[in-house]
Amino acid sequence: MKTPPFLLLAALLFWGWESGLLAVGALLGVVLESSRIIRARWEVADQDFRRLWTFCVLLALALVLYVFATNQAGGGFSGMVQGPGAVRNAAASSVNSATSFFRWLPMTLFLFIAAQVFSERGAVPLAALSTTSLIVRWRRARGDGLDERYVDVSYAYFIVCLFAAGIHPNTGTYSYFWGQCVLVAWVLWSLRSRRFGLAAWLGMLVAVVAIGFAGQYGINQAERFIGSFNAQWMARFFRQQTDARQSLTSMGQIGELKLSPRIVIRLEPRSAGPVPAYLREASYRNYQPQKSTWYAGGSRGDFSDVSSERETTWVLLPRKTNAAAVSIACYLNGWAQDLGAPEGLLPLPSGCGRLENLPLFILRTNLTGAVLGIGPGLVIFDAHYGPGATIDAPPDTGTTNRFDLMVPTNEVPALDRVISEMNLSTTNEIRLRQAMEKFFADKFTYSTWQGADKRATVNATPLTRFLLASRSGHCEYFATATVLLLRQFGIPARYAVGYYVHETSGSGYVVRERDAHAWCLVWNRAAGNWEDFDTTPPSWVATEGARASVLQWLSDLRSWIGFQVAKFRWGQTNLRQYILWSLIPALAVLLYSVVFRRRKKRAAPGSGGGPAVDDARPGRDSEFYRLESRLSGRGLPRASGEPLAGWLERALAEPALADLREPLREVLRLHYRHRFDPEGLNAADRQALARQALACLQTLSRK
Amino acid sequence: MKAIYQLIYWSYRNSSGFWRWAQRRFTPAGRCMAGGLLVAGAVGADIEYTVTYQSFMLLLACLLLAVAGSFFFRARFSATRRLPRCGTVGQPLPYQVCVKNLTAETQAGLTLLEDLADPRPSFAEWLAFKRAEARHVRAFRVSPQRRSNPFRLVNLREVEVPALRPGDEIEVRGELLPLRRGILQFTGVTLARPDPLGLFRSFCRVAAPQKVLILPKRHPVPPIALPGVMKYQEGGVALAANVGSSEEFVSLREYRHGDPLRHIHWRSWAKTGKPIVKEFEDEFFVRHALVLDTFTDEPRSEVFEEAVSVAASFACTVLSQESLLDLLFVGNRSYCFTAGRGLARADQMLEILASVRACGDQPFSTLEQLVLGHLSVVSGCICVLQRWDDARKKFVEKLKALNVPLLLLLVVGPGGGISGAGGPLLDGSGTLRVLEVGKIEAGLAKLT
Repeated sequence: MKTPPFLLLAALLFWGWESGLLAVGALLGVVLESSRIIRARWEVADQDFRRLWTFCVLLALALVLYVFATNQAGGGFSGMVQGPGAVRNAAASSVNSATSFFRWLPMTLFLFIAAQVFSERGAVPLAALSTTSLIVRWRRARGDGLDERYVDVSYAYFIVCLFAAGIHPNTGTYSYFWGQCVLVAWVLWSLRSRRFGLAAWLGMLVAVVAIGFAGQYGINQAERFIGSFNAQWMARFFRQQTDARQSLTSMGQIGELKLSPRIVIRLEPRSAGPVPAYLREASYRNYQPQKSTWYAGGSRGDFSDVSSERETTWVLLPRKTNAAAVSIACYLNGWAQDLGAPEGLLPLPSGCGRLENLPLFILRTNLTGAVLGIGPGLVIFDAHYGPGATIDAPPDTGTTNRFDLMVPTNEVPALDRVISEMNLSTTNEIRLRQAMEKFFADKFTYSTWQGADKRATVNATPLTRFLLASRSGHCEYFATATVLLLRQFGIPARYAVGYYVHETSGSGYVVRERDAHAWCLVWNRAAGNWEDFDTTPPSWVATEGARASVLQWLSDLRSWIGFQVAKFRWGQTNLRQYILWSLIPALAVLLYSVVFRRRKKRAAPGSGGGPAVDDARPGRDSEFYRLESRLSGRGLPRASGEPLAGWLERALAEPALADLREPLREVLRLHYRHRFDPEGLNAADRQALARQALACLQTLSRK
Repeated sequence: MKAIYQLIYWSYRNSSGFWRWAQRRFTPAGRCMAGGLLVAGAVGADIEYTVTYQSFMLLLACLLLAVAGSFFFRARFSATRRLPRCGTVGQPLPYQVCVKNLTAETQAGLTLLEDLADPRPSFAEWLAFKRAEARHVRAFRVSPQRRSNPFRLVNLREVEVPALRPGDEIEVRGELLPLRRGILQFTGVTLARPDPLGLFRSFCRVAAPQKVLILPKRHPVPPIALPGVMKYQEGGVALAANVGSSEEFVSLREYRHGDPLRHIHWRSWAKTGKPIVKEFEDEFFVRHALVLDTFTDEPRSEVFEEAVSVAASFACTVLSQESLLDLLFVGNRSYCFTAGRGLARADQMLEILASVRACGDQPFSTLEQLVLGHLSVVSGCICVLQRWDDARKKFVEKLKALNVPLLLLLVVGPGGGISGAGGPLLDGSGTLRVLEVGKIEAGLAKLT
């Protein structure tokens, strides 16, 4: 099926226009369409088509590799495969490479289609397409009676051009749509059924365009609509994200608290000494007992950007002396809708002043010390920390907003009863904290079971029942109670959530989802900073650990594999570099086998049990053909379809060839055997054929 | 396991049915557009980086409207097919179809499609094939031994029908390429009309049930000196040719009750006044047994089909010589057909071979008994075997012990063979030749 005149030119012009390569498109189109004017044709053998196809595929791969490696937007090859900025670079390069591959297909496949349009047959052998040639070869070897099939790939090339023209960012314009409408209408016109008149065809076409336009417009709108819900919808499938603005506790709920053993954070100490016990994600100031929820007391807009010192170094506290450092690997499970990238709160040790090797796009902090990162889905960075100042704002002890001292009124009676039970005589804050810690350790127990005794009643909140009745609960009870008790004493305190680090793994530590913890931040007036204060009985770690399954190693293995995959996916490994390098020898081997091995086969047709050039027609390398050509040149051409024997006898009737009659007949006899004898010629006869044919040629050249 | 096979069979049956439906319903342009639709859907999934989703919607609209436009085809035709009696595997089979327009409107732009009986196998047949294939081909592997469409019977070509005015009758020439031997059953003729865009067809079906016998593929066999000597044939020339004008006979004698009337010598009767009959010399001629090994548990295997082809090739070659040929094989029972010298022609032998089925429920000894029972009248045996196992070896040994001249042809799969089988195997009394599927002609050409 040949394309109508100038369709390919129009398609290439359209592709060039849409891709910004108009001159190239015009040139390619003119070359292809010139085949309608230029009558000269080349004899392109099937083997040549195979080579051309292989070349085109290799060219396409090489171009993709080139784009992938040298993409300037991606920071170049080296910037893409190593270093903390590799994520952004690799992502940009991947997108560019993928789109370039499709966008440049009309160019990379041009030689193949040009060979077709300028070949004598005007079609390419199906076996030339390397993806099918193996199957075709098998079927032919099996004797399926499979004839060599030739196909015209003009329409396939047209479709490639059409789709390649659409590989560019969606800017909301409709030039591509109208352009493809014209081209498709052109094709449909040439293929229309003659049964119907112009009106029916036009009516159908108008309806097609109208429905097509409405459909693509609808897709555009639907994508925008769905996109606005995308983050929330996807978030349902992931672990619940820590929200910097609020923390809904499980206080007052019924049932067993179950958290998974999935590893969520990995730590490697970068300095001597212990790793930080607590990794805080966020802290909150305002407790609402009706909802059992802590609020940060601000809005999302409270976050302010942190400027990076270098590309991957972020300074949270400029004048902070950081005594220790730890490498933290964690996932960003949220999604920043405005930037279209993963986001999440970073789990940081208290007193963290500097983050290094952190390949984020944006880093933000708020007044309650939450650090929000937007970047790749997995980050591995070094956190430098030390005692003293933190990034949290000082306590709000003003007259209007006393967030850090607020106690809900309905919790006050229970708190007062507990304070009286503690029977404290000191006002020293340090002693107060010690007494409080002892009180909770002695009189309370850790439990993850949420019985009916913890549910809110008409007269008592869950916290009241915890403090006065059950005296058993999980960390959220302890942290909330401690914060409110401290505030009752007039000490500013906050509710903090994050993770407790205790489990070693090799030279580092792992933190599981069940290590999620809540504690409180207490303001140290003397030092002028916030300090971690945890009253949850230490037995909670053992209690949680006792619930570990015997198959936890399986879960750990899965977590490790997931971690390695995430490292590769988000460019936190140099594996990508090795893959790129491994491509080069693979391509070299392929090129060698394509170019040199085939040449070797052609150079040694007799080796390996038979002619390698074309098994279907043995004897094509016979020297007799040279004799035939020579005699034809002497005015004795063989007629089309004339048997060689008949032609030779006719030629030998010439008196000038009288002395060559017997030698030529002998050469023909050997040639026939070479061509048609199933046993073929043995080595001696084959040499005799070559020798005698050569002798005849020499005799002819002397005449 | 059977449930899994049933599920695979169900998916095979539905997918092949769908594919056949798509091939008939869509025009080549429509199929191209459907393929483009899939590509556009895959490439344009991310509508942020590409705008090919616009192509997807346009192509989808084209196809949907084409399907809608294919409705409302009300036409009546009559069709009569003129088929030859037989065709041959691998050989194009031309035929004619007369189409008459029975409507009051001119019908143009029609395409004629043939309706064949459903070629899809039953579950039992399919399962037998799959299990047989699994013995040679590992699961989920691309292999040269795995055939792409083993149940396809024929390659059909669509035929363009010229414009038909009301009441016009026209003869169009069709052609098909048989791929398997046996009976090819036509159920009707379909006249297809494309929609205005030329992408999708609507059908008008005309019942025209018909059958054609597809003969097995034949390979050229070189002139060979078949083993064996002339033997006395009980029944004399009555078993041989009874046509021609030869009046040679050895003597005359008086008529005896039971003598055939055509043996009466009328001139002598006229002279003597009593019936005199001619006496003929006893007939000696060559009679060969062509033994076909049908015992296989792979009913659709290529080896079996090629064995039948080899037998058919020999049937044609031997029957062109002055000899008799007994075809011996076992199907649901034992069969022996004699042909040659006026008894039956080669084409009748081929018709029998076209219908030979594999035998999977009887032992090889059945064939052995059949052959041994016929040895008294045959001069030599041509055995086409599918396997070289103990049962066959013993069979050959018995024939050798009886001094029966043998030509053994062992058909093996691609790349198959047996060690040391290329040359003489049975010291002078017979030769075993290995014929490899795909190289059968080359193997036969080496026979001398």
